[in-house]
Amino acid sequence: MDWSIPGMIAMAGTADEAAADETEASSADATTTTGDGILTVEDCAVSYGKVTALRGIDLTVGEGEFVAVIGPNGAGKSTLCNTVSGFRDYTGSVQYHGTEVGGQSPRDLVQRGLVHCTESRDLFGYMSVEDNLTLGAYRANTNTKERLRFVYDLFPALEDRTSQLARTMSGGEQQMLAIGRALMGDPDLLVLDEPTLGLAPVILDDISEGIEQIREEGVTILLAEQNVTFALRHADRIVLLENGEVVRRGSPEELREDDYIRESYLGG
Amino acid sequence: MLGTVAPLQANLSTVLVQIVILSSLYALVALGFTLIFGVGGVLNLAHGANITIGAFVAFVVSSQMGYGGFVGLAAAFVLTGLLSGAYYLGLIKRIQDEPIMVMIITLVTAVAVEEVIRFVYGSQPKVLTLLSGRVNIGGSTVTFTQLVAFALSALLIVGMFAFVNYTRQGKALLATSMSHKGAALVGIEANRINLLVWVGAGALAGAAGVFLGSIQGASWAMGRAPLVLSFSIVVLGGIGSIRGSVLGAFVVGTLEILTVQYVDSSLTGLTPLLVLVAVLLLRPEGLFGRELVEA
Repeated sequence: MDWSIPGMIAMAGTADEAAADETEASSADATTTTGDGILTVEDCAVSYGKVTALRGIDLTVGEGEFVAVIGPNGAGKSTLCNTVSGFRDYTGSVQYHGTEVGGQSPRDLVQRGLVHCTESRDLFGYMSVEDNLTLGAYRANTNTKERLRFVYDLFPALEDRTSQLARTMSGGEQQMLAIGRALMGDPDLLVLDEPTLGLAPVILDDISEGIEQIREEGVTILLAEQNVTFALRHADRIVLLENGEVVRRGSPEELREDDYIRESYLGG
Repeated sequence: MLGTVAPLQANLSTVLVQIVILSSLYALVALGFTLIFGVGGVLNLAHGANITIGAFVAFVVSSQMGYGGFVGLAAAFVLTGLLSGAYYLGLIKRIQDEPIMVMIITLVTAVAVEEVIRFVYGSQPKVLTLLSGRVNIGGSTVTFTQLVAFALSALLIVGMFAFVNYTRQGKALLATSMSHKGAALVGIEANRINLLVWVGAGALAGAAGVFLGSIQGASWAMGRAPLVLSFSIVVLGGIGSIRGSVLGAFVVGTLEILTVQYVDSSLTGLTPLLVLVAVLLLRPEGLFGRELVEA
C-alpha cells in the first residue's frame, strides 16, 4: 500500500484499503481498555441523509482512560462525539455504562455523568462566567461551590472574570469556560471536541495543563482532536478516523512509529 | 390604540399617570409574546386570543357566576396559563421547528377563538368590573380599576424579572433563549422550558385581558390591537428581550398618550405602526438586540 500521498483527497480513495490494513498496522486489540468499559461503541454508523458520516465504528473507553480520536476535517470526529452524547441517531450500538445511548435524552445522559464540551462551545453568551459555570451543574448532584472552586483552581483566569459576559471573552478564555462548564457537571465521561481549535500556543499550554489535571482527577476522557501532537501528548490510546472509518488505532508510541501517521500528520 | 385611557386634560401629572398606567399594561401584553419568541423562536399569533379568553373567563366567573372581580382575575390568570400550556403540548410542540406552519396554526387559532366568542357572547362588549370608584393622584383622577391594573401589572413584571434573574428555572429559561444546544449540553430540557414559557405567557396575557376588559369592556376582537402593539413593542425593544419589551412598552405608551393629548385621538392607532416602521428602518435589531432574552 502506498502511504506516501498525505491528506484528504488521497485518503478518499484509500480509506477502505486503510481500514482493511488496520489490524496489521496496530498491535493493539481493537477494543483494548485499561479498565471497565464506560463507553462501548460497536459497528456504529451515522448518516446525514444519503451521506454516510460514520460507518463500522468500534471503540471502547475504559474507566479513567483517555482516548483520543484524531483525523482531518470532515473525518467524522464531531459526529462521533455528538452520537456518543445522544445528539445524533445511529445504527449499531453505543452503550454508556452498559445502557444504550439511543432512546436516552441528552438530559438523562448528563444526569448520568456523560458531559460533552462541543467544538463550537455553545456558551450562554449574554450570561456571566459564573452563571455559565453554575448552569453547568444544573443536573449534577454535587456541591456547586466545591465544583466552582475546582474549576477556578484549574483555570484561574476564570476566577478573575466571574462577572464578565461570556461573549466578550477571548477564544482561549471561552474554551476554558466551556471546559469548566462541562466539569461543573461532575462528569464520569468527558467528551471534548476540538478543545485546541484556533487557540494561540500560549493558551494551548494552559488548556493542556488543565486537561492533564482533569485526567489526574480520574475523569475518563474521549477527546476529538485535529492537533495530532496535542492528542499524542495526552492520550492513552489513539484512534485515527478518516472518511468516517477507523483506519488506525494504538498507543501514542505505536502511532508515532507508524509511517503513515508520521508522513500525513506529523510532518514526516 | 387600545382606547383604554379616559380623555385627558392638558395637565402634566395627568399625562404622566396615564402614561405609566397604559405602558405597564402594554408591557404585560408584550412580555409573553417576546418570551415565546425569545425562548422558542415561535411567533405566536394566538397571543391576542389569550387576552380575549382571559377577559371572558373573568366575565363569566365574576359577572355571570357572581364570584367578584378578583376571583375572576385569578381564574383568568390560571385558566389561560393552563390552556396556553395545553395548546403548546397538544399542537405547537409538534410543529415548533416549522415557523411558517406555527404562524398559520396560531393565526387560525386566533380567528377561531374570536369567532367562537362572538358566537357565544355576541358582538356587544361586556362590562367587566374589578373595582368601582375613583381616586385623585397628583391632581388627576384615576379609576380604582386603572390603579389596580397598574399595580398588578407592575407586580407581575417585577415578579417575572425576579424569576428570570434569581431562580434556577429562570436562569435555565434565559440560557435556553441564548443557546438551545448549550442548554441541552448542561441537561436543560428545551421542551420543558418552552412549556413553562407558554404557561407563563398565557397567564400574563390572561391577566392583561382582564385589566383591558375592565377598562374598555370585554369584546370578541379585543385581542387584535394588543397583538399589533406587541409586534411594535417587541421589535422596538429587541425581539426576545424582557428589558427591551418593558422599555418598548413605555415608549409606545408615551407616544400614544402624547398623540391623544396633543395631536388627535383618532391617530392613536397609527402610533405603534409608525414606531414599528421607524425601528425597522433605523435600528432593525431594536434597542437591546435580537433573539435573546436579557433581563
